[in-house]
Amino acid sequence: MSVRADDRLIGFHLGGAGAALPLALVREVTDRPRVVRVPGTHPFVSGVALRGGVALPVYDLRRFESLWSGRDRTGPLGWSADADRLIVCDWGEIPLGLLGAGVDLVVEGGEEEEGMRCVMSGDFVKRVLRVHGETVALLDTDRLFASLGVPAAELRGRRETGEDDPAGG
Amino acid sequence: MKLLMVDVGEGRYAVPADAVTKIVDPALETGFHLEECEAVFGGERLPLFDLHAAAGERRGPAPVYLLLQGARRRGVVAVDGAESIREVSPGDIAPLPAFIFAQPRRAFRGVFPDGAGSRLLLDEDALL
Repeated sequence: MSVRADDRLIGFHLGGAGAALPLALVREVTDRPRVVRVPGTHPFVSGVALRGGVALPVYDLRRFESLWSGRDRTGPLGWSADADRLIVCDWGEIPLGLLGAGVDLVVEGGEEEEGMRCVMSGDFVKRVLRVHGETVALLDTDRLFASLGVPAAELRGRRETGEDDPAGG
Repeated sequence: MKLLMVDVGEGRYAVPADAVTKIVDPALETGFHLEECEAVFGGERLPLFDLHAAAGERRGPAPVYLLLQGARRRGVVAVDGAESIREVSPGDIAPLPAFIFAQPRRAFRGVFPDGAGSRLLLDEDALL
Protein backbone atom coordinates (compact mmCIF):
# COMPACT_ATOMS: atom_id res chain seq x y z
CA MET A 1 0.00 0.00 0.00
CA SER A 2 1.42 3.37 -0.93
CA VAL A 3 1.72 6.07 1.66
CA ARG A 4 -0.10 9.28 0.81
CA ALA A 5 1.02 12.64 2.15
CA ASP A 6 -2.13 12.92 4.21
CA ASP A 7 -1.43 9.57 5.87
CA ARG A 8 1.78 10.80 7.35
CA LEU A 9 1.86 12.15 10.87
CA ILE A 10 4.34 13.74 13.18
CA GLY A 11 4.38 11.85 16.44
CA PHE A 12 5.67 13.34 19.65
CA HIS A 13 5.46 13.04 23.41
CA LEU A 14 3.66 15.37 25.78
CA GLY A 15 5.05 14.29 29.10
CA GLY A 16 4.60 10.55 28.79
CA ALA A 17 1.61 10.67 26.48
CA GLY A 18 1.90 9.98 22.77
CA ALA A 19 0.36 12.48 20.37
CA ALA A 20 0.38 13.06 16.65
CA LEU A 21 -0.42 15.77 14.14
CA PRO A 22 -0.88 15.63 10.37
CA LEU A 23 2.47 16.21 8.74
CA ALA A 24 0.80 18.56 6.27
CA LEU A 25 0.42 21.15 9.04
CA VAL A 26 4.05 21.03 10.09
CA ARG A 27 6.49 23.51 8.63
CA GLU A 28 9.54 22.38 10.56
CA VAL A 29 10.77 20.73 13.71
CA THR A 30 13.63 22.39 15.54
CA ASP A 31 15.45 22.29 18.82
CA ARG A 32 13.60 24.20 21.48
CA PRO A 33 14.49 27.85 20.92
CA ARG A 34 14.83 30.57 23.51
CA VAL A 35 11.26 31.38 24.51
CA VAL A 36 10.33 34.72 26.05
CA ARG A 37 7.60 34.44 28.64
CA VAL A 38 4.85 37.02 28.12
CA PRO A 39 2.92 38.04 31.24
CA GLY A 40 -0.84 38.00 30.86
CA THR A 41 -1.04 35.15 28.38
CA HIS A 42 -2.98 31.93 28.75
CA PRO A 43 -1.30 29.44 31.10
CA PHE A 44 -0.66 27.03 28.24
CA VAL A 45 1.29 29.67 26.30
CA SER A 46 4.96 29.21 27.12
CA GLY A 47 5.81 32.48 25.46
CA VAL A 48 7.00 33.64 22.09
CA ALA A 49 10.08 32.85 20.06
CA LEU A 50 11.46 35.28 17.51
CA ARG A 51 11.85 33.42 14.23
CA GLY A 52 12.59 35.28 11.04
CA GLY A 53 11.29 38.53 12.48
CA VAL A 54 7.99 36.94 13.52
CA ALA A 55 6.81 36.42 17.08
CA LEU A 56 5.95 32.73 17.06
CA PRO A 57 3.56 31.78 19.86
CA VAL A 58 4.84 28.69 21.65
CA TYR A 59 2.34 26.37 23.32
CA ASP A 60 2.95 23.79 26.01
CA LEU A 61 0.01 21.43 25.70
CA ARG A 62 0.94 19.78 28.96
CA ARG A 63 -0.47 22.89 30.61
CA PHE A 64 -3.71 22.87 28.64
CA GLU A 65 -5.95 21.36 31.29
CA SER A 66 -8.89 20.69 28.97
CA LEU A 67 -6.74 18.36 26.86
CA TRP A 68 -6.33 15.90 29.66
CA SER A 69 -9.10 13.61 30.70
CA GLY A 70 -8.35 13.85 34.39
CA ARG A 71 -6.42 10.62 34.60
CA ASP A 72 -2.71 10.36 34.99
CA ARG A 73 -1.19 12.51 32.27
CA THR A 74 2.38 12.02 33.27
CA GLY A 75 2.74 8.60 31.71
CA PRO A 76 5.85 6.52 31.95
CA LEU A 77 8.23 9.39 31.24
CA GLY A 78 6.81 11.53 33.99
CA TRP A 79 5.55 15.09 33.97
CA SER A 80 9.02 16.49 34.11
CA ALA A 81 10.08 14.95 30.81
CA ASP A 82 11.68 17.75 28.84
CA ALA A 83 9.90 19.16 25.84
CA ASP A 84 13.13 19.71 23.97
CA ARG A 85 11.70 20.16 20.48
CA LEU A 86 9.55 22.77 18.81
CA ILE A 87 7.05 21.68 16.18
CA VAL A 88 6.29 24.72 14.02
CA CYS A 89 2.86 24.49 12.42
CA ASP A 90 1.18 26.62 9.78
CA TRP A 91 -2.43 27.04 10.77
CA GLY A 92 -3.68 28.88 7.73
CA GLU A 93 -1.75 32.12 7.73
CA ILE A 94 -0.82 31.76 11.38
CA PRO A 95 2.41 30.10 12.46
CA LEU A 96 2.48 28.54 15.90
CA GLY A 97 4.81 26.28 17.80
CA LEU A 98 4.08 23.25 19.96
CA LEU A 99 6.60 21.96 22.46
CA GLY A 100 7.18 18.24 22.49
CA ALA A 101 9.74 15.51 22.88
CA GLY A 102 10.63 12.40 20.94
CA VAL A 103 9.41 13.82 17.64
CA ASP A 104 9.30 11.31 14.81
CA LEU A 105 7.45 10.49 11.63
CA VAL A 106 4.49 8.16 12.01
CA VAL A 107 2.55 6.48 9.24
CA GLU A 108 -1.12 6.26 9.98
CA GLY A 109 -3.09 3.23 8.90
CA GLY A 110 -4.15 -0.20 10.00
CA GLU A 111 -3.34 0.16 13.64
CA GLU A 112 -6.35 2.07 14.92
CA GLU A 113 -7.92 0.47 17.95
CA GLU A 114 -11.44 0.84 19.29
CA GLY A 115 -11.87 1.68 22.94
CA MET A 116 -8.18 2.10 23.59
CA ARG A 117 -7.43 3.94 26.78
CA CYS A 118 -6.17 7.43 26.12
CA VAL A 119 -5.14 9.96 28.73
CA MET A 120 -6.32 12.82 26.55
CA SER A 121 -9.85 14.11 26.37
CA GLY A 122 -11.84 12.65 23.48
CA ASP A 123 -12.92 16.18 22.62
CA PHE A 124 -9.50 16.83 21.13
CA VAL A 125 -8.65 13.41 19.73
CA LYS A 126 -9.62 12.30 16.24
CA ARG A 127 -8.38 8.76 16.55
CA VAL A 128 -6.36 6.65 18.91
CA LEU A 129 -3.61 4.71 17.19
CA ARG A 130 -1.26 1.97 18.20
CA VAL A 131 2.23 2.75 16.93
CA HIS A 132 5.11 0.44 17.78
CA GLY A 133 3.26 -0.72 20.85
CA GLU A 134 2.55 2.78 22.06
CA THR A 135 -0.80 4.54 22.31
CA VAL A 136 -0.78 7.69 20.19
CA ALA A 137 -3.62 10.20 20.08
CA LEU A 138 -4.12 11.84 16.69
CA LEU A 139 -5.08 15.35 17.74
CA ASP A 140 -8.14 17.08 16.33
CA THR A 141 -6.37 20.28 15.37
CA ASP A 142 -9.56 22.15 14.43
CA ARG A 143 -10.92 21.76 17.93
CA LEU A 144 -7.61 21.93 19.71
CA PHE A 145 -6.35 25.12 18.12
CA ALA A 146 -9.77 26.76 18.42
CA SER A 147 -9.75 25.97 22.14
CA LEU A 148 -6.27 27.43 22.45
CA GLY A 149 -7.69 30.67 21.05
CA VAL A 150 -5.93 30.43 17.71
CA PRO A 151 -8.08 32.02 14.97
CA ALA A 152 -9.57 29.55 12.52
CA ALA A 153 -7.39 28.63 9.59
CA GLU A 154 -8.49 29.75 6.16
CA LEU A 155 -8.71 26.99 3.59
CA ARG A 156 -6.24 28.62 1.28
CA GLY A 157 -3.59 28.14 3.90
CA ARG A 158 -4.33 24.48 4.53
CA ARG A 159 -3.75 21.50 2.34
CA GLU A 160 -6.84 19.61 1.41
CA THR A 161 -6.98 15.82 1.41
CA GLY A 162 -5.37 14.48 -1.73
CA GLU A 163 -3.49 17.65 -2.48
CA ASP A 164 0.00 17.05 -3.77
CA ASP A 165 2.77 17.14 -1.26
CA PRO A 166 5.35 19.67 -2.47
CA ALA A 167 7.99 17.56 -0.79
CA GLY A 168 7.13 14.79 -3.19
CA GLY A 169 5.29 12.48 -0.78
CA MET B 1 11.88 54.66 18.10
CA LYS B 2 13.47 55.47 21.44
CA LEU B 3 12.84 52.84 24.08
CA LEU B 4 13.54 52.85 27.79
CA MET B 5 14.91 49.46 28.83
CA VAL B 6 13.62 48.32 32.20
CA ASP B 7 13.87 45.30 34.51
CA VAL B 8 10.89 43.75 36.22
CA GLY B 9 12.04 40.77 38.24
CA GLU B 10 13.45 38.27 35.75
CA GLY B 11 11.72 40.09 32.90
CA ARG B 12 13.44 42.46 30.53
CA TYR B 13 11.03 44.93 29.00
CA ALA B 14 11.02 48.15 27.03
CA VAL B 15 8.78 51.17 27.25
CA PRO B 16 8.41 53.80 24.51
CA ALA B 17 10.45 56.68 25.87
CA ASP B 18 7.89 59.18 24.57
CA ALA B 19 5.29 57.68 26.90
CA VAL B 20 7.45 58.09 30.02
CA THR B 21 6.81 61.51 31.49
CA LYS B 22 8.78 60.91 34.68
CA ILE B 23 10.80 58.28 36.49
CA VAL B 24 9.96 58.52 40.15
CA ASP B 25 12.23 57.31 42.93
CA PRO B 26 9.93 57.24 45.95
CA ALA B 27 12.89 57.72 48.28
CA LEU B 28 13.55 61.09 46.71
CA GLU B 29 10.06 62.20 45.69
CA THR B 30 8.07 63.47 48.64
CA GLY B 31 4.86 63.95 46.67
CA PHE B 32 4.61 60.27 45.75
CA HIS B 33 3.04 57.43 47.67
CA LEU B 34 1.08 54.23 47.05
CA GLU B 35 -2.46 53.40 48.11
CA GLU B 36 -3.48 49.80 47.32
CA CYS B 37 -4.05 49.80 43.53
CA GLU B 38 -3.27 53.45 43.04
CA ALA B 39 -0.33 55.77 43.15
CA VAL B 40 -0.71 59.33 44.34
CA PHE B 41 1.66 61.79 42.73
CA GLY B 42 1.43 65.52 43.28
CA GLY B 43 -2.09 65.02 44.61
CA GLU B 44 -3.23 63.15 41.48
CA ARG B 45 -4.55 59.60 41.85
CA LEU B 46 -3.18 57.35 39.12
CA PRO B 47 -3.82 53.66 38.37
CA LEU B 48 -0.89 51.47 39.38
CA PHE B 49 -0.07 48.54 37.09
CA ASP B 50 1.75 45.70 38.74
CA LEU B 51 3.87 43.94 36.15
CA HIS B 52 5.57 41.98 38.91
CA ALA B 53 2.28 40.30 39.78
CA ALA B 54 1.40 39.78 36.11
CA ALA B 55 4.72 38.05 35.59
CA GLY B 56 4.46 36.05 38.81
CA GLU B 57 7.39 37.97 40.24
CA ARG B 58 7.92 39.62 43.60
CA ARG B 59 8.63 43.30 43.59
CA GLY B 60 12.25 44.13 44.30
CA PRO B 61 13.34 45.98 47.43
CA ALA B 62 13.77 49.37 45.76
CA PRO B 63 11.42 49.78 42.81
CA VAL B 64 11.18 52.94 40.80
CA TYR B 65 7.97 54.07 39.22
CA LEU B 66 7.38 55.12 35.64
CA LEU B 67 4.75 57.76 35.14
CA LEU B 68 3.27 56.90 31.75
CA GLN B 69 1.04 58.85 29.42
CA GLY B 70 -1.19 56.57 27.37
CA ALA B 71 -3.64 57.48 24.63
CA ARG B 72 -6.49 57.94 27.09
CA ARG B 73 -5.04 58.45 30.54
CA ARG B 74 -1.99 58.43 32.73
CA GLY B 75 -0.79 55.62 34.95
CA VAL B 76 2.13 54.29 36.94
CA VAL B 77 4.16 51.12 36.43
CA ALA B 78 6.58 49.80 39.03
CA VAL B 79 9.90 48.50 37.73
CA ASP B 80 13.03 47.29 39.48
CA GLY B 81 15.30 49.49 37.45
CA ALA B 82 15.65 51.56 34.29
CA GLU B 83 18.82 50.54 32.44
CA SER B 84 19.18 52.71 29.38
CA ILE B 85 17.50 54.38 26.46
CA ARG B 86 18.08 52.82 23.05
CA GLU B 87 17.00 53.51 19.51
CA VAL B 88 15.26 50.47 18.04
CA SER B 89 14.00 50.34 14.48
CA PRO B 90 10.24 49.73 14.32
CA GLY B 91 10.97 47.10 11.69
CA ASP B 92 12.85 45.07 14.30
CA ILE B 93 9.80 44.86 16.54
CA ALA B 94 7.60 41.84 15.84
CA PRO B 95 3.98 42.33 16.88
CA LEU B 96 2.62 39.88 19.42
CA PRO B 97 -0.48 37.97 18.33
CA ALA B 98 -3.50 39.16 20.31
CA PHE B 99 -4.90 35.65 20.70
CA ILE B 100 -2.19 34.53 23.12
CA PHE B 101 -3.45 36.90 25.80
CA ALA B 102 -5.92 35.77 28.43
CA GLN B 103 -7.55 39.19 28.72
CA PRO B 104 -8.38 41.79 26.05
CA ARG B 105 -6.31 44.39 27.88
CA ARG B 106 -2.78 43.28 27.27
CA ALA B 107 0.41 44.67 28.68
CA PHE B 108 2.71 44.03 25.73
CA ARG B 109 2.52 44.62 22.01
CA GLY B 110 5.80 43.47 20.53
CA VAL B 111 9.09 41.69 20.92
CA PHE B 112 12.50 42.51 19.50
CA PRO B 113 16.00 41.02 19.56
CA ASP B 114 18.12 42.15 22.48
CA GLY B 115 21.59 40.73 22.79
CA ALA B 116 21.40 36.96 22.94
CA GLY B 117 17.70 37.06 23.80
CA SER B 118 14.58 39.07 23.19
CA ARG B 119 12.80 41.87 24.98
CA LEU B 120 9.09 42.65 25.22
CA LEU B 121 7.70 46.07 24.36
CA LEU B 122 5.06 47.44 26.72
CA ASP B 123 1.73 48.48 25.19
CA GLU B 124 1.05 51.65 27.12
CA ASP B 125 -2.09 52.47 25.14
CA ALA B 126 -3.70 49.10 25.84
CA LEU B 127 -2.57 49.13 29.43
CA LEU B 128 -3.76 52.63 30.25
